[in-house]
Amino acid sequence: MTNWVIKGLRTGVKSTRYPRAEETAAGCSPGLPAATRLPSDLAEMIVARCPTGALERSLEGVDVDLRRCVHCFRCTRGSNCTVDWSGGYDWAGFATERTGAFGPPFGRSLHILVVDTGDCGACLSEVKQLNNPYYNMHRLGFFLTPTPRHADVLLVVGALTEQMRLPLRKAYDAMPTPKRVVAAGACALSGGVFGRSFICSGGVGEFLPVDVEVPGNPPPPLAILHGLMVVAGRKPPASLYRRVENSSADEPR
Amino acid sequence: MPMPFVLAATLLTCGAGIVLSLVLDDSRIPALLGCLGAIASLLLLVLSGASLFTGTSFHETLWTIPQLGALTLSLDRLSALFLFISGLVLLPASVFASGNLFRYLGKYSLRTYCILYFALFATLVLIPISADALSFLMLWESMSILIYLLVNYEHEEKEHTRAGYIMLAIGEAGTIAVALAFITLARNGSLEFAAMKAAGIGLGEEARWSVFLLAFFGFGVKAGLVPVNFWLPQAYTSAPGSFVPVLAGATLNLGIYGIVRVNGYLLPALTPGPGLVALIIGSVTAILGILYATTQSDLKTLLAHSSIENAGIITAALGAGFVFVALKHYPLAAIAFAAALYQMLNHSIYKTLLFCATGTVDSHTGTRNIDRLGGLIKVMPLTAGFFLVGALSIAALPPFNGFDSEWLTLQTMLQSAELASTGIKIVFAICGAILALTAALSVTCFVKAFAMSFLGMSRSEAAAQAERAPRVATVPMGFLALLCFLLGIAPTYVIPILDGPIAPIAQAARAADALVPPFFAGNPHHNELPAAFVADFHAIGAQVGQSVMPARGLIVMHRGGAANPVVFAMSTFYTAVVLALMLLGTYVVFRLIISSSRAVDRRVVWDGGIRRLLPEMTYTGTGFSNPVRVIFEAVFRPTMVEDTSETVGKHFRAAIRRTRGENHVLDRLILDPISDAALQAANGFARMHHGFLNAYAVYGLAALLVALLVARFA
Amino acid sequence: MSGRLDQVVEQIGLRWNGAVRPSPNLAHDAVCQIECPSEQLGEVCNWLFSEQDYSFGGLIVEQQKHWHLRYVFYGGAHAGWIHLTTSLPGGESQLPSISRLIHAADWHEREVEDLYGLSFEGHPRLGDFVLHNDVFHEGIAPMLKNFNGSEPVTDRSPDTNWRPRRIVEEIGAFAMPIGPIHSTGTAPVYFQLETVGEDVIRAQPRLFYAYRGLEKIAEGRRADDVLLIAERISGTSAFAHSLALCQSVERLCQVAVPRRASTLRILIAELERLRHHISAIAGICESTGLAVAAAHASILEEELLRISGALTGHRYLFGLNVFGGLSMDLEDTRCSLAAEAVANVSDRLDTLQAMLSTSSSFLDRLEEVGVIEFPDARDFGLVGPVARASGLSRDLRNAQPYCGYDRIEFLVPHESEGDGYARLRLLFREAQQSTRIISAIAKSLPAGQCRTPEWGLRPGAALGWVEAPGGAALHWLRLGEQGVVERYRIITPSFANWHGFRLAAENFAFQDFPIILATFALSVHENDR
Repeated sequence: MTNWVIKGLRTGVKSTRYPRAEETAAGCSPGLPAATRLPSDLAEMIVARCPTGALERSLEGVDVDLRRCVHCFRCTRGSNCTVDWSGGYDWAGFATERTGAFGPPFGRSLHILVVDTGDCGACLSEVKQLNNPYYNMHRLGFFLTPTPRHADVLLVVGALTEQMRLPLRKAYDAMPTPKRVVAAGACALSGGVFGRSFICSGGVGEFLPVDVEVPGNPPPPLAILHGLMVVAGRKPPASLYRRVENSSADEPR
Repeated sequence: MPMPFVLAATLLTCGAGIVLSLVLDDSRIPALLGCLGAIASLLLLVLSGASLFTGTSFHETLWTIPQLGALTLSLDRLSALFLFISGLVLLPASVFASGNLFRYLGKYSLRTYCILYFALFATLVLIPISADALSFLMLWESMSILIYLLVNYEHEEKEHTRAGYIMLAIGEAGTIAVALAFITLARNGSLEFAAMKAAGIGLGEEARWSVFLLAFFGFGVKAGLVPVNFWLPQAYTSAPGSFVPVLAGATLNLGIYGIVRVNGYLLPALTPGPGLVALIIGSVTAILGILYATTQSDLKTLLAHSSIENAGIITAALGAGFVFVALKHYPLAAIAFAAALYQMLNHSIYKTLLFCATGTVDSHTGTRNIDRLGGLIKVMPLTAGFFLVGALSIAALPPFNGFDSEWLTLQTMLQSAELASTGIKIVFAICGAILALTAALSVTCFVKAFAMSFLGMSRSEAAAQAERAPRVATVPMGFLALLCFLLGIAPTYVIPILDGPIAPIAQAARAADALVPPFFAGNPHHNELPAAFVADFHAIGAQVGQSVMPARGLIVMHRGGAANPVVFAMSTFYTAVVLALMLLGTYVVFRLIISSSRAVDRRVVWDGGIRRLLPEMTYTGTGFSNPVRVIFEAVFRPTMVEDTSETVGKHFRAAIRRTRGENHVLDRLILDPISDAALQAANGFARMHHGFLNAYAVYGLAALLVALLVARFA
Repeated sequence: MSGRLDQVVEQIGLRWNGAVRPSPNLAHDAVCQIECPSEQLGEVCNWLFSEQDYSFGGLIVEQQKHWHLRYVFYGGAHAGWIHLTTSLPGGESQLPSISRLIHAADWHEREVEDLYGLSFEGHPRLGDFVLHNDVFHEGIAPMLKNFNGSEPVTDRSPDTNWRPRRIVEEIGAFAMPIGPIHSTGTAPVYFQLETVGEDVIRAQPRLFYAYRGLEKIAEGRRADDVLLIAERISGTSAFAHSLALCQSVERLCQVAVPRRASTLRILIAELERLRHHISAIAGICESTGLAVAAAHASILEEELLRISGALTGHRYLFGLNVFGGLSMDLEDTRCSLAAEAVANVSDRLDTLQAMLSTSSSFLDRLEEVGVIEFPDARDFGLVGPVARASGLSRDLRNAQPYCGYDRIEFLVPHESEGDGYARLRLLFREAQQSTRIISAIAKSLPAGQCRTPEWGLRPGAALGWVEAPGGAALHWLRLGEQGVVERYRIITPSFANWHGFRLAAENFAFQDFPIILATFALSVHENDR
């Protein structure tokens, strides 16, 4: 056993400095398309390439609905005409008309029940990474729990399938108040690639009151962490819909 | 009122019961049994209590039978203790029986039951006070037969008949062994106990051993000791629910009484050998009893095996006492005997309680199978509560009575450190470890018995729709539960009472002073503890109760030598107070924090999100105790595991069926070889029946030769 | 190349003279299609499976005018593919079951019965499989062409009295329910462990809580949109599945993938395999409670995710595969940098293995636990590392090479014990092989384009296959006019291995159950689809 201890000590600290500082290591996040100022014909072309309707035409270019993006990279690869690409991971925002974050005294430490309602396994894998030494969510007071009885936050990943409705409802009902629902990943937010069908719904929000939404397909661990910080009230939410910045507001449109 | 009159009144009540039951209609029998049984029990309590608490005794010679001697009755404190315990058990048991008997109405004759019950009552009263071997044996024999008849009361069940026969056979063997012991003791021709005791002093070592072994195993049959207890689980299971409490609470004690009377009183051992035998047999009995109890799924059988366990603990403590007496450590012997008798008292109370609760469950749900019960606390809350008290007591958890006596028993084992012989110390250490394991397993066993029967989901319709128990069942149980609690928190008042019966066998007057020093009586100079120590004790206020309650305070304490004035000390009363305060404190804090505005939120059980949590998805009793079965595989060793899986094609399974047959370790190791040998011998002899004439002539000749040779050399 | 295949086909012709007809396009692409009437089906399948050592790949059903059923078999090197096809008139709905002879077909037949409403005569266990009867009634068959897959089912009339089937009859037996929401961060699956305490007598998983109807929703979509679905069959083996779909399209449309692209595909596929195996190793360490080792393995897993992210833009390699190549070129320097990083990870993985192999408390939990014997593994048609740990050493990378795997040197390791430790050792050994492949490729990447520029979709059907990290994955795609998908059949390794999971879990103690589960590295999502 001692050699495990020695190995642990020799490995040293791996944890990211987020949220005190930005994490800059390569490959932490796939990034998301940014709202891009484009002439209308090009914008039309790019919007047509988007399979999930995440890109929308606006007067000045292309707006992005982060909740729909599935990282297919069609708007940025394989053609000369591309949208801007933004890195980062502070993507989580409040769902429309929801109460949002926990206030004190609940925000310091939250127990999280993860329910997979039919994803592809990538979101779940990224949630699991939160426990690895790089992200180590315990240091921020977040803990995964196997039972809704101990849970403050219901973290839902995956498109909601018909056969997971009952388990999800039971889990939500079994949680004590106050409780919040975080939906993570494009499938949970909008149905993602699968879309609405005989077996999948177009997002968990139709079924449960979602408080915080985390875009991404899958959202990288840091984005989920940001979502948890938002629901804990320790980080400000981001905007889930990115518009082209109105640099010339006084100009008539 | 003089004692013989009380005794006569008790016996007359029993007689009235017999006479009245001949007259009365079957439907009125239960009430009769309840009333007269309670009256007789109260009279018995008065009779024995007078002797036990004040020390008065009587000695009556009834009449003299030519050739055999006088039939005498004598009540001393030892007898009084056993009578008192019988009274404590028979009082609630009679009331309980009056409610429980109705289930037999129309099926079996209640009149017969009543007659047998009162006849047995009378023998139970008379056995401890018969003071000569002749009347003792006659009563003993009638008790055996009456018990057989009562166990076999539901005679239409084949199982019961078989259980009865086995019980009768082994009971007879026990009686014969006891009779032989008495004959050996009656050297100067008198069958009176007093004369036997006098004659015993001159007995040789071989005779002493034979008396010990004959009496120990002869009485051991009734007490349920290894290896003569194989009748017990079956008989207890077969006996009517209203009668088992008597069986476990009163007749088992008489086995112990026999051992104490003969091996402790009439012929005390001079060498540690017999004591060690008792100690080892007791420990083995205890561990086997609890192992089999843990794996049972029939509540009644479980309790029966647990009675064996308790008999083992009692016997082990007695054995320790015998060893201490033989080695002249009289105060230690007193502690050991106190532990044994205390354990016996406690066992009678909580086992009666548990059997009453089980009988109630049985009559209200139609099953005693733990795997088919569950969730009963919702439909029978009082019964559940009383069963819980009984379970906590038997699992030796404070503040209930089982804790006191088991703690004392284990302490006794630890006191072997004072002995000189290393060999004896090792035996004590091993037996102590076995008893500790037994105590731990009994917790497992009764967690299972209570949790799997009363908590969780009901695993059968009958269990889900059981009705509340009537008052005629809950009042006796409540009485017994209260006794469990009182005996648990007031050991310092019980032990001095036990002192009386112990004194003659421990051969030390005021033996309990070693255990509960009269230190708190108010006079610091009265005892032999160092003055500074006493002053310290007074200073920290440990003498609470000194002026409020007379007697000895509330701490059980073994007084040691000057260097180590207190060997061990414990107060279950204070434990109970602290427990109560902690519970109260928690409750108060809870109420303070949780303001009434925030109501308690009740949600359904979290089931992982499945469609429906079904009763079949909850742990069964068998499943709960299966780890024990796996760990002690060597003991249980299932003799047959039949696997009859059905498959379609090669890999589609339609059903996996497994049956497990179990052969009790005693049957496997002792009974089966004996019966096999007997059968083989019988077969051999059977062959002789069909021989030729010439062969018979040879047999005759050979027999003659042998006889001549024996005559020549003998 | 397909000499063995020719022999087998010839023998079939002789044995079932006339009744069984090999199709004329014999040995095209090492695929032989044999038409077989349903009466002979069992016999021929059994002969191929038991005597000719062909593996059962899967069952593909297509609804056109008639029912077309395609039983896919594949052999070892040079034995190619055999598609036994049988058709059933449109009105009929019953045909003989082969699963009593080939148990590997059990779940395939159950799935077809549940989703198409076809009944398999002689199959003892039909109904309540993919669609749970407590949610949908038995008559719903979503894969039928006339079933509207885009709207929720209105008339479900579920069986309200449904309860899990129990088969263990022993005194005190009970069913321990686990899930579908259980443990922390696990995919939805319900286990019913029948037991009398201590030992698991029967372990039955109830899957398809995450059934997303991918095969149904793919129908009517454009092929390149279906590629997005393929990536999301199992996010942790996304590249393998998208590669299988790409190959079926490329085979159908006879697109020549540039050498650079196919080589890069191998590199990425091995990177994914390495990450998958390390993730499984982390899971095993965690299940045994060896926290330090689990933390180390998950460090390596995260590093590989970052390498993937930095190299391809996506941590799970989404959006990289496109028909005809890759969506972006990966520069040589970045590839070799990534290969160096991978080699570094691999070195540390070797250290971890060395340390684990001397931790006796860890080995005690794995050795002789969850044993699957070779005959059982074969009967259940197990695939991938699980099968190779039981001595069933078939790997599509060298049995039916694709992407140019035949030009690369690597070993397919296998073990024979079939216990948890054998599976763990195999994961380590395969991880080493993957690292070797990556290093070798990164040194000698062929130059050229990364995507075939000009080609068009054409109607027809083709099979694409890949040795996904979990085992053999087969994708059958039928395209209609204008590149619209008519049928997309996804056969995944987890589907096969979940079927056989009970073999390992039964007759071991409760506390071994999570460990056995971890050594299987099963994906619920890949199974449920």
